[in-house]
Amino acid sequence: MPVPANALLFVSAMLFTIGVVGVLVRRNPLVIFMSIELMLNAVNLSFMTFANALHSVDGWIFVFLVLSVAAAEVVVGLAIIVSVFRTRQEIDVDDFNTMKG
Amino acid sequence: MNLGQIAFYVLGATAIASGIGVIAFRNAVYSALSLILNLFCLALFFLMLNAIFLAAIQVLVYAGAIMVLFLFVVTMLTPEGGDAATVDRLGAMQRTAAIGLGIILAGAFGYILISQVRLSPSAMATGANDLFTVMNRDGNTEAFGLALFHGYLLPFEVTSVILVAAILGAVVLGRRTTSGSGLSAGSGLSAGSGPSAGSGPSAREE
Repeated sequence: MPVPANALLFVSAMLFTIGVVGVLVRRNPLVIFMSIELMLNAVNLSFMTFANALHSVDGWIFVFLVLSVAAAEVVVGLAIIVSVFRTRQEIDVDDFNTMKG
Repeated sequence: MNLGQIAFYVLGATAIASGIGVIAFRNAVYSALSLILNLFCLALFFLMLNAIFLAAIQVLVYAGAIMVLFLFVVTMLTPEGGDAATVDRLGAMQRTAAIGLGIILAGAFGYILISQVRLSPSAMATGANDLFTVMNRDGNTEAFGLALFHGYLLPFEVTSVILVAAILGAVVLGRRTTSGSGLSAGSGLSAGSGPSAGSGPSAREE
């Protein structure tokens, strides 16, 4: 049952767009992080689609690397959010402009 | 319409609906649960695309580890007022602009997909390097492992360095300092770099 590559790429593009709109619309940094995860996964889906369509294993490797980097990014990002919450007692992306290193 | 197409349409609709749910739910916990559903749909897509190992990794790492971390932080950081305190204070103009830009982006993607995606046969892996050849000869996970540990060994090692850096960053950012309360995170870090830094019950609550 071959899945048409264009249909999968369409789903991937829709998911990426939803992620972009989520980053633009939401103020809660946790939801913004989830939208970023959504975008990463949309790109993963198109990597897998191209790997399947081109009979190449490279797409799999890239999905694996994106997964690891996403895990690292989530850990550091959530640590930053928790650290901001500790000092401000509320989380809003508007508060992040006061963050100094 | 065969079974594979029906599965594709159901999965695609579920994936897009749950993706919309991620950004539409007011409550961040619902957003996280919706994202978990989306990740499961993508894992099933990976299964349809013959990537068994990566589908399992997707479920284990994303749904199992990353989303648990997300849910933990979401429930920990919910302010006292509940949802009312986290309501988005976004102007109607800003929201309209964001959705308009999203529609433009979707249109651009759609245009590219309709007009220009032509997978050229010359880009396909051929001969012994063909993915399906290796998969049929050695097996699915073996094909992935062969590629990862032979052709992509350096990126694999760099990934381990990234993970170590992320662990160290999380430890440094999550550390509570004993010296002084009410400090910002940055000054708390610089003040806590001495030997007096510690965590546990002796740390002062703000």
